[in-house]
Amino acid sequence: MMYALCDVTSMYASVEKIYNPKLRNSGILVLSNNDGCVVALCPIAKRLGFKKFVPYFQIEKAAKEAGIVALSSNYELYADVSSRMFSILEEYCDELHEYSIDEAFMAFDMPLHEKDWLQLGYDIRKAIWREVKLPVGVGFGPTATLAKAANHASKKLPGATGSSVINTIDERKKILSQMALADVWGVGSRLSKRLTDMGIKNAYALSQQPPKKMRKYFSILLENTVRELNGERRLQWDDVRPAKKEIYSTRSFGQRITDIEQLKFSLVTHCEVVARKLRDQGSLAGSAVFFAASSPHDDAPYYKRSVYHQFTVPTADTREVIKGAAAAIAQLYMPGVRFYKAGVGLVDLRDKNFVQGDLFNVSNDNPELMAALDSINARYGRHTMHFAGRGIEQKFAMKRRFLTPRSTTRWSEIPVIHCK
Amino acid sequence: MIKVIPFTVSAGIVGFESPAAEYTELGLDLDALLIDKPAATFLGLAQGNSMVGDGIFDGDILIVSRAEEVKHMSIVVACLNGEFVCKRVDKQNRVLRSASKQHAPYQLREGDDFSIEGVVIRSVRMHKPVSLNRFQS
Repeated sequence: MMYALCDVTSMYASVEKIYNPKLRNSGILVLSNNDGCVVALCPIAKRLGFKKFVPYFQIEKAAKEAGIVALSSNYELYADVSSRMFSILEEYCDELHEYSIDEAFMAFDMPLHEKDWLQLGYDIRKAIWREVKLPVGVGFGPTATLAKAANHASKKLPGATGSSVINTIDERKKILSQMALADVWGVGSRLSKRLTDMGIKNAYALSQQPPKKMRKYFSILLENTVRELNGERRLQWDDVRPAKKEIYSTRSFGQRITDIEQLKFSLVTHCEVVARKLRDQGSLAGSAVFFAASSPHDDAPYYKRSVYHQFTVPTADTREVIKGAAAAIAQLYMPGVRFYKAGVGLVDLRDKNFVQGDLFNVSNDNPELMAALDSINARYGRHTMHFAGRGIEQKFAMKRRFLTPRSTTRWSEIPVIHCK
Repeated sequence: MIKVIPFTVSAGIVGFESPAAEYTELGLDLDALLIDKPAATFLGLAQGNSMVGDGIFDGDILIVSRAEEVKHMSIVVACLNGEFVCKRVDKQNRVLRSASKQHAPYQLREGDDFSIEGVVIRSVRMHKPVSLNRFQS
């Protein structure tokens, strides 16, 4: 069995260049929700010294002077292009595991020495570039952790060519000894600091630690990482991303809200989002948390309140979650407060297949209705069918001042092709 | 298109079941007919009349495949100096040709920013005009 990890270089910035020919040779920055800060840069913008995670207002002037174009996040477009890439990757492997919008693990059911993996990496890169116009890096390894390490090598190590393989002991040693601990999958920056203090310098040194010792000093997770770095398979797809134990939807408003109706509308929207995510992963929620807050940066005193709501029977029905929000709103709202943020969290989640019936409290869930709602919204766009409690016109809707066309999902926004 | 098989309920006392009921199947799907490889295909709106000789008119929808092999004189969509254009590509002479006498061929030059995006595999003409803006939300 061989694994590969394929991921896109600067996904958001790369996607923006596909359907906007004018941007092909300009430097671009992609901004986060509400055009807050920079989340992606194309290579031109990187070369000019712009950085990720910087608030946009701080660099707005410099960007304009340098001729750099700032864009709002066009999620509709990114999601569509991402699914195109995944469907092409599926042709190359036996199993595909979508890990995030811009990366996927692939599994190959064949002996490790049966194939020229490096060449397969080049073929995949070429196909994704040709058919979707996205630049990707591909790394191969006998475990998911080694595939992730090889992927890092395919892009970041000296002489990187976009494809790399860890299959032999020599390859493993060569790549891992050039890799920082924090770049190892499952080792965060805090953990890497503790390991460094113990004299473990890089990924190769980590791989040479006795697994049992790592378990004793740290956790079974780090033991697994060490074993995976040595080619021993410990992680399954399911471990890679277990069903979430809590689901949150929260966002800051485009502008401050002072009116109870607007706050309610926003909470109802969040209810719709979390309930859909809950159904997607096949869970039921035992309780919900609703919260609303002002901005800590405003002059007025900081205000934050949250309300805990327990469902009589665990639920995955949007209507039940909205009922909870309606009950919470009176406690969350405070006249005069300029609300900056609100959200909903579903907690105490359980698998819907393992819920015990309750003799006295009958579930009011209507799974068929919810399935119909979800499939209509999946097909015709996220908010085609929604609950009246959301209101018709939302003042808090996200600010996306620099949104590019949704070229692949809206008829009115498909690209113009000149015949002149 | 919503893919549903129409299902009619018939109660025995009303009459005979329609002999056609057994033959009901999914309606015809234009996507399946016109698009060979959805992941590598995009749609664009033709603007202008330089390709009328090839049957591409102003306002037609172009179906463009990035997976299709570009051959000599294929009708392609290219990115030329920051614009998408539709042309026939004369690979031997590095020339972009229109399909209309009024439009001169374009000789590719050093310094042109040029890439072929895909091959126009089909085009759709709106004999009764359709407003794409009615899909705005």
